[in-house]
Amino acid sequence: MSTPQKRILVVDDAATVRMYHRSILEGAGFEVTEAINGIEALEKALTRPFDLYLVDINMPKQDGYAFLRELRKQDIPQTPAIMISTESESRDRSLAYVAGANLYLVKPIKPHELLANCRLLLGLAGGAE
Amino acid sequence: MAFVKRSQTTTVGQDERGYSRDFEGLCAELEAPNPTARRWAARDLAAHPGAAQVLIARLEVEPDAAVREAIMISLTEIGDAVTVQGLVKCLRSEDASLRNEAIEAMKHLPDTVAPVMAGLLADPEPDIRIFAVNVLESLRHPDVEQWLIEVISEDAHINVCATAVDLLGEVGTEAAVGPLEALKRRFPAEPYIEFAADLALRRIRDEG
Amino acid sequence: MSKLTISEEDFRKFREFFYRKTGIQFDGGKRYFVDKRLIERIEATGSESFRSYFTMLRFQASGEELQALTNAMTVNETYFFREEYQFECLVNSILPEIVKTKKPGSTIRIWSIPSSSGEEPYSIALYLTEFWKGIDSWDVELISSDIDTDILNKARNGKYSQRSIQHLPKDLLQRHFHKTGDGDYQISDDFRAAVEFTRVNLAEPADTRPYRGFDVIFCRNLLIYFDDLSRQKAAEVFFDALNPGGFICLGHSESMSRITSLFRVRKFPEAIVYQKPEAR
Ligand SMILES: C[S@@+](CC[C@H](N)C(=O)[O-])C[C@H]1O[C@@H](n2cnc3c(N)ncnc32)[C@H](O)[C@@H]1O
Repeated sequence: MSTPQKRILVVDDAATVRMYHRSILEGAGFEVTEAINGIEALEKALTRPFDLYLVDINMPKQDGYAFLRELRKQDIPQTPAIMISTESESRDRSLAYVAGANLYLVKPIKPHELLANCRLLLGLAGGAE
Repeated sequence: MAFVKRSQTTTVGQDERGYSRDFEGLCAELEAPNPTARRWAARDLAAHPGAAQVLIARLEVEPDAAVREAIMISLTEIGDAVTVQGLVKCLRSEDASLRNEAIEAMKHLPDTVAPVMAGLLADPEPDIRIFAVNVLESLRHPDVEQWLIEVISEDAHINVCATAVDLLGEVGTEAAVGPLEALKRRFPAEPYIEFAADLALRRIRDEG
Repeated sequence: MSKLTISEEDFRKFREFFYRKTGIQFDGGKRYFVDKRLIERIEATGSESFRSYFTMLRFQASGEELQALTNAMTVNETYFFREEYQFECLVNSILPEIVKTKKPGSTIRIWSIPSSSGEEPYSIALYLTEFWKGIDSWDVELISSDIDTDILNKARNGKYSQRSIQHLPKDLLQRHFHKTGDGDYQISDDFRAAVEFTRVNLAEPADTRPYRGFDVIFCRNLLIYFDDLSRQKAAEVFFDALNPGGFICLGHSESMSRITSLFRVRKFPEAIVYQKPEAR
């Protein structure tokens, strides 16, 4: 890739999930930062903006919805965000979109699925599979 | 204009608690229109062992996050069976933040949560089972590993197992090795399960 | 010379563990610092290897070693103009926002806890005097507290070693300090009179209950020593102590994100701080 390295913030309270996403995304040349809940994610996002947010819904202290709502409220441009949940009901899906998600994925996520969707939202070639 | 000092007594802020501090007074105050008054009532109710019921009932309708947080702290201090029942009810709430607050509170109550854990882990709703595993995360209880092993050996739902594997990486011992291997065979086409199980196995072997 | 070394794999394992426990994340650039402290603790505890030390660290019931290691991993000292960007934030961003909501003639109230030997509250007083125009038109009440009565006496006395004042600009030192016989520097009586020092245990509700109506709180390099529940209770104390719209500044390695969602994250050009929401 000749374009500057894209930066992705992975927000999940489960260490294994963060490491899984990190290994897939770093393997594809992205730069990855982790946050353990929505507030920490917001602090990191406000300190140095990212190109994409990968956000779990259920997290202690501040859940994914609240994080996205705050993120959209503060002076962050409309950076794409993927919301990730263990629940597939449409209730969560629509809540996620209302909170400002661009895409909603259900766990467990396959590596190619994660990469294709990240590339798609980042406007990189090879987005569709 | 400059730096000023007031006497200690005027430094002392006004205490909002200007009403009757007995149980009935506090319960009434928990419904007050002013959120600060409700927070103080929620806090002071921690000293009343029978207050769990009232606090839980308020939790379900309380709009103010700060009051909810005070209620949660008081509930963890009371920590009786009524509290745990109420928190379990919160796990079924539509409100994601209330669910997460309940999970946090339950983590602090190992002895009262333990008797209901088996039931939660067998709940027909996979989401409830996932929340139960979340509670195990910081529950200091000797049975945690055994519960997790049962989950990854028996639970049919992949995300419940996935959540349990994450924790086994932390608390797992030799006893978890066989069940982790079996889990990989049970979900052969799932890269996440393979990744998480291998990570847990590596940690257990490293420390064995 | 010590023969112990920390491998890359050890470092990564430790980093993740420590991050989970304390919220402090070391990047690769901190590797030397982390290795050095780790080796010191491994030796101090008589452990044979990183592995045996790490096992002890994780499973020790008392958590004593984790505390000792946390102490070693954090920089414990205090000094003038420490984390100066927050004082800049105070005068350039926070106070301008606060005074907008204040009636003329009312007092701006600042609480600095823990004070330690006083460098932090005196730095605030110096900053306000030197860099904030508002000091001419507003009254400021500055209260600073610590649990340790010896250190409070030291703070009231205001006498400091070379080491403590090394980050102070020379002209400021000249204007507001005088050299004592033993080569130390004592801050002028005006400043000693400007700060009210009080003894408070942040973890004791009876101590903190009178502290209300503050516009800004500094609580730097203390919460790091607390466990989860005590941190959460401390956050409650700050919430009660602040006026609606009031601000709280934490140390640079501390974050409300692991503690509570009571406060809003606010980004200013100089720093990230937390704000109590305005009354609804
Ligand atoms: C590292 S100093 C921080 C000083 C200063 N705020 C700074 O950041 O440079 C920590 C101080 O916390 C004080 N302390 C420890 N536990 C406390 C408690 N429960 N309540 C109040 N102060 C406490 C200690 O006495 C010590 O002076």
